[in-house]
Amino acid sequence: MIDIFASALRLATPLIFAAMGGFLCERSGVATICLEAVLLTSAWTAASVTYFSHSPFLGTAAALWVGAMTMSIHSFLVTKTKADPIVSGVAVNLLALGVTPILTKLLFGSPTNTAALPLSERMSSELLLGLSFLLPFLLHFMVYKTGWGLRLLAAGDGPQALETSGVSPAKVRYGAMALGGAVVSLGGVYLSVAHASQFTREMAAGRGFIALAALIFGKWRPIPAFLTCLFFGLTDALQIHFQSSPLLGTTFPVQALQILPYLITLFVLVGFIGRAKPPLAIGKS
Amino acid sequence: MNRRHLFQVLLGPGLAILISALLTAGILLAFGESPAILWEAFTSTFFNGFGLGYTLFYTTPLILTGLSVALCFHAGLFNIGAEGQLHFGAAAIIGIALLFPHLPPFVAIPLGMLSSIVAGGVWGWIAGFLKAKRGSHEVIVTILLNFIGITFVNYLILYPFKNTQVQNPETLAISKSYFVPPLSDISAFFGSELFRTTPVNCTLFLSVIFAVICHFFLFKTVQGYELRALGQNASAARFNGISLTRNTMIAFTLAGALAGLVGVNEVMGFQHKLIEGFSPQYGFTGIAVALMARNNPIGIVLAAFLFGAIHNGAREIEFLSERISKEISIVMEALLIILIAGHQFFIAKIIHFFKRGSRD
Repeated sequence: MIDIFASALRLATPLIFAAMGGFLCERSGVATICLEAVLLTSAWTAASVTYFSHSPFLGTAAALWVGAMTMSIHSFLVTKTKADPIVSGVAVNLLALGVTPILTKLLFGSPTNTAALPLSERMSSELLLGLSFLLPFLLHFMVYKTGWGLRLLAAGDGPQALETSGVSPAKVRYGAMALGGAVVSLGGVYLSVAHASQFTREMAAGRGFIALAALIFGKWRPIPAFLTCLFFGLTDALQIHFQSSPLLGTTFPVQALQILPYLITLFVLVGFIGRAKPPLAIGKS
Repeated sequence: MNRRHLFQVLLGPGLAILISALLTAGILLAFGESPAILWEAFTSTFFNGFGLGYTLFYTTPLILTGLSVALCFHAGLFNIGAEGQLHFGAAAIIGIALLFPHLPPFVAIPLGMLSSIVAGGVWGWIAGFLKAKRGSHEVIVTILLNFIGITFVNYLILYPFKNTQVQNPETLAISKSYFVPPLSDISAFFGSELFRTTPVNCTLFLSVIFAVICHFFLFKTVQGYELRALGQNASAARFNGISLTRNTMIAFTLAGALAGLVGVNEVMGFQHKLIEGFSPQYGFTGIAVALMARNNPIGIVLAAFLFGAIHNGAREIEFLSERISKEISIVMEALLIILIAGHQFFIAKIIHFFKRGSRD
């Protein structure tokens, strides 16, 4: 039983980082379906840089930078070239899905995974786990209690008003998205050099989308989204548990649990369990 | 359409193809490969029967998903749920074929097609219903429905329809009466070896026919006009008595039905069973196809062929090169989407660049 809860926390950690990064991006008024891309590029960078530099901290720093840059491609496409945010998000997701195995093959000979890291060169998962538990409260404070945060919220809910007051919503968005990308990257770092010891192809495995679902379920607020991530982590832990040990002597179809996060998010979204409304500027741009 | 207009329509995609090809060649150079293999790979996808057969096999589902996305785009809706819809369509064929294995081909083939249309259509309708009646954003809804649909289909593959004789996650085979004939059978009838041992099949004709039907539907029928009116100016259309609710559901149902037909190509035309993870992102590539063709159904056939060639060419590059893997096709796709989605900006930049150059 304790095992299941411990594994739930471990599985929730990357979701929390991704959801918190997504929180910053979406609240600044840009629909962001490319959290998955940032998880992939940052996980790849963390594993590769750590492998060649033998320093997990250097790997983490590089991953944060690459994650911020990946998200900045998205914000550039949306704010500068006026691309549709969904189209841009799809493109950035595809880009990460394609670039990571190509670079893996170039540097490590096989497109499927990077070379394994020794235990001494891995990031401490406890450190990241702890950070993921502090982050939602920190972001809550930063976004709702500081001037910067209020500008961010204004960029998402009333960009015209912000513009009138002399602040450029585009600039606020660039900043928020780069920071958001860096936050999501911590999830990628956790996946490849803390939870595992290498990057494997398609390592994010839809976590970027589950995190987005958690964000929606939490109605675009950091602390409810954080609690939702914990719950989704628990369903994931149960799913893995039932895969190995049959329930009441019968093999339990794990797909039923895999579907659960998406299904309940859908119920919230369509208004059967309260209603989730996105930031106003999303979808208008 | 006069000549000048046609030139303008083709300019954007043409430039995008050129730039992304140059960028890809640049990537190959940076990786220490000769860009000549890009040329070699692509000629082999067009100019021999084997390569062309595979290219056309990949073209088929991309025409269908491209149409699926474009139909919704015309109504001002975004369907990124084609991936889930096509999984449903494919699973329905397996279900029907296992339930009624002993039908004669002239009943079995239409029945199989119909089941994929209905299953895809129902899954599309759900998205349309939730958007129209509950006001949920269709993008988020279709993302969620993709995961739910694909996971459910994986369950069907692994449990009720599983072929327990093999280790692979795949279903039992469908009976022969459901097989859609491959094009190589037709060429063999005329004594030719064209398309021999390639999976391209008659579903290709079906998808081209559906492109023509979509064109007719969108531009020559009242229903199609209503969809386009909503897409261009929803409030004006509603003011004139066009129902947003009804048309949203119609658009998504038709889009789902088109995506569902991908199952015909995969199951009835080629594998004759369903394998977990059979779709290499056909649904998402459909977005690129629709964008490239600017949602024109006939343009979609051409754009689908281009993306089919990219997909097939990338497999060839992987074969020719020791350093590059086949995912280069996904990168090219992404570059094309980016260039087309932001084309106004990029074209303005290019014009600016040349203007400055001529002044110096």
